[in-house]
Amino acid sequence: MHYDITGRTRLHAPLTGIGLAAALLGELMLADRITMRAAPGGTRLEPVQEPSSEESEGAGTSGRDPLARVVLAHIVAEPSHTVRTWLRFLARTARADVASRMTADGLLRPHRGLLGSRHLPVDTNQAAWPVGRLNIAVRRREPLGARDRVLLGLLNATGVARLVLWERNTTYLAGAVEGLAPRLQELLAQTEAAVGDAVISRR
Amino acid sequence: MSLTEQRTGAVTAALAEDRLGVPSVVFFVISAAAPLTVVAGVVSTAYAVTGVVGVPLAFVLLGAILAVFAVGYVTMARHVVNAGAFYAYTARGLGRPAGVATAWVALLAYNAVQVGLYGVIASAATPLLTDWFGVTPDWWAVALAAWLLTGALGLMRVDVNGKVLAVLLLAEIAVVVVFDLAGLAHPAASGYSPEAFAPSSLLVPGMGAVIAVCVAAFAGFESSVVFSEETKDPRRTVPIATYIALAVISGLYAISSWTVTVAVGSDKVVEASRAQGPGLIFELAGRHLGTTAATVGSVLFVTSILAAMIAFHNTISRYIFALGRERVLPSIFGRTSPPTGAPVSGSVAQSVTGLVVIVIYAVSGLDPLVHLFFTVGSFGGFGVLLLLAGTSVAVLFFFTREPGLENAWRTRIAPGLASVLLLIVLGLALVNFDTVLGVEPGSPLRWILPAVYLAAIVFGVAWGLTLRATRPRVYANIGLGAQAAIGGDK
Repeated sequence: MHYDITGRTRLHAPLTGIGLAAALLGELMLADRITMRAAPGGTRLEPVQEPSSEESEGAGTSGRDPLARVVLAHIVAEPSHTVRTWLRFLARTARADVASRMTADGLLRPHRGLLGSRHLPVDTNQAAWPVGRLNIAVRRREPLGARDRVLLGLLNATGVARLVLWERNTTYLAGAVEGLAPRLQELLAQTEAAVGDAVISRR
Repeated sequence: MSLTEQRTGAVTAALAEDRLGVPSVVFFVISAAAPLTVVAGVVSTAYAVTGVVGVPLAFVLLGAILAVFAVGYVTMARHVVNAGAFYAYTARGLGRPAGVATAWVALLAYNAVQVGLYGVIASAATPLLTDWFGVTPDWWAVALAAWLLTGALGLMRVDVNGKVLAVLLLAEIAVVVVFDLAGLAHPAASGYSPEAFAPSSLLVPGMGAVIAVCVAAFAGFESSVVFSEETKDPRRTVPIATYIALAVISGLYAISSWTVTVAVGSDKVVEASRAQGPGLIFELAGRHLGTTAATVGSVLFVTSILAAMIAFHNTISRYIFALGRERVLPSIFGRTSPPTGAPVSGSVAQSVTGLVVIVIYAVSGLDPLVHLFFTVGSFGGFGVLLLLAGTSVAVLFFFTREPGLENAWRTRIAPGLASVLLLIVLGLALVNFDTVLGVEPGSPLRWILPAVYLAAIVFGVAWGLTLRATRPRVYANIGLGAQAAIGGDK
């Protein structure tokens, strides 16, 4: 949930998809389920073998979250794809997937309006909290945890940071990103590249 | 469809669903070329300003030269990832400083073609406005309205979307074909004279000028390779789409420009074009088919120009955006607008350029059709020639350095032939540059404008070398576009 970019009406739908896709991969990396491997033709994603469990596929062992499990199952099944391909693939459905997960967790409720259905936060304070927390931390120059640093990096990579952050301190941002594991830094760079490609694309 | 409903093994299949086939790519490519804008605007102006009757032959020759050029060009697209633009090719083939120089030339040339269109929109729209509303606005008022629309759509990232574009394009082509048939059914006294295709009508002093003018009409065909990564089968889709687009464009232009000589008489075509300008083919259509047909054609002429303006505007803003992402331009140009995903700074920069040019022309009272559409448009056409020649040489160098990737025809013979032909055309255009621009032979503009490109090249190479010395990480990313964020060889 922490990675849900306030998106929806504030960020262009394809870019929201890329941001959320990156967030899903970021969750798996933070949980040590997947890692990056440099390969000819582009960086690949690789599942991390869990020493404790012998049975493969990782079903049941990848945490309780069904969405994370599905994403992981895809990566286990087709490890030959580049990060770029994964972002494009996950971006197609990320918004709907994350919305249903948040609905299932009781964070969002579906809302049927005249202009089609939307999702509204159950508790607006709770929904505003992650970005609010980031803003306070940025202002006070407080060190952030890894999850929040990834969130900050994603807000920046998708360009939405300019809308939701009160102040944009490049030194602080660079410091926050540099403190991350290399694979998470690579994920942020890949996200920025995917966003750039989406902007340049003519479709 | 939710992710959870997909079975494993579906990644490639799912991504393949929204990939493009040959027809889509052909549509994208031809739409940037805006057929009716060329047939009504460029053809009549080319006859009028150069006084050369061989315009149809020029289109055929250019189509052939570009087809030879395309052989190496689409082959290189298979080996250079993120083949976004000409400068990605020259950066790889001729070195990164040459890439920066190409980028500057491309920005100049595309901007010139785009801004040139502001000079023709009034002559397309004013007759309609007068007919319908009885108003006759100044040309710059019409240009500013078009400018506002283009700028606003650019900021909202409204690419004239696929379906609208397809309908407009088919309507344009239908109008051109119907007008052609009507013209052929009503030949003038000189009959079906093949004179316009005779080498002797092109091998005259204004030849280089005609070619430079006509090449601007092809601008946009190079965008086919941009779709490489989004097509079903890049190895086949992109080349086939490129050749089809070239054949359709050059065939349509050659036949239409010949039809004008049939309908008016090849001896009178220059005179008639001078007298009536872009209105010529609509006047002919009105005579042959009635006023309704002429009005439909005139309306589509306006939408065609607008579509071309928007297409070039978006091409330029993406170019600027890509350079901003690479940090070759300041990073502010690499920014997007979060709500629309538009390359904002690039779009604004292009709009500012357009506004400045319109204001300068309006204030100094220059003729929009001759001095803006033709002179600036041809200046852009010359730049496109430079880009084509440079890219062709780059393809040759690239495959010389990395031999064995493809057969000799694709990597050496065709690119070599295309380079020689394009350099000859470039030389001819330079010799005739006064006619290219439609200025007096003694005019200093004749030398100043080519010098502008020279300056762009020198400045580009210098900037590339500066980056190498001072910011090697930026230098390493030249030509990578958005992928600069992750570096090239990861």
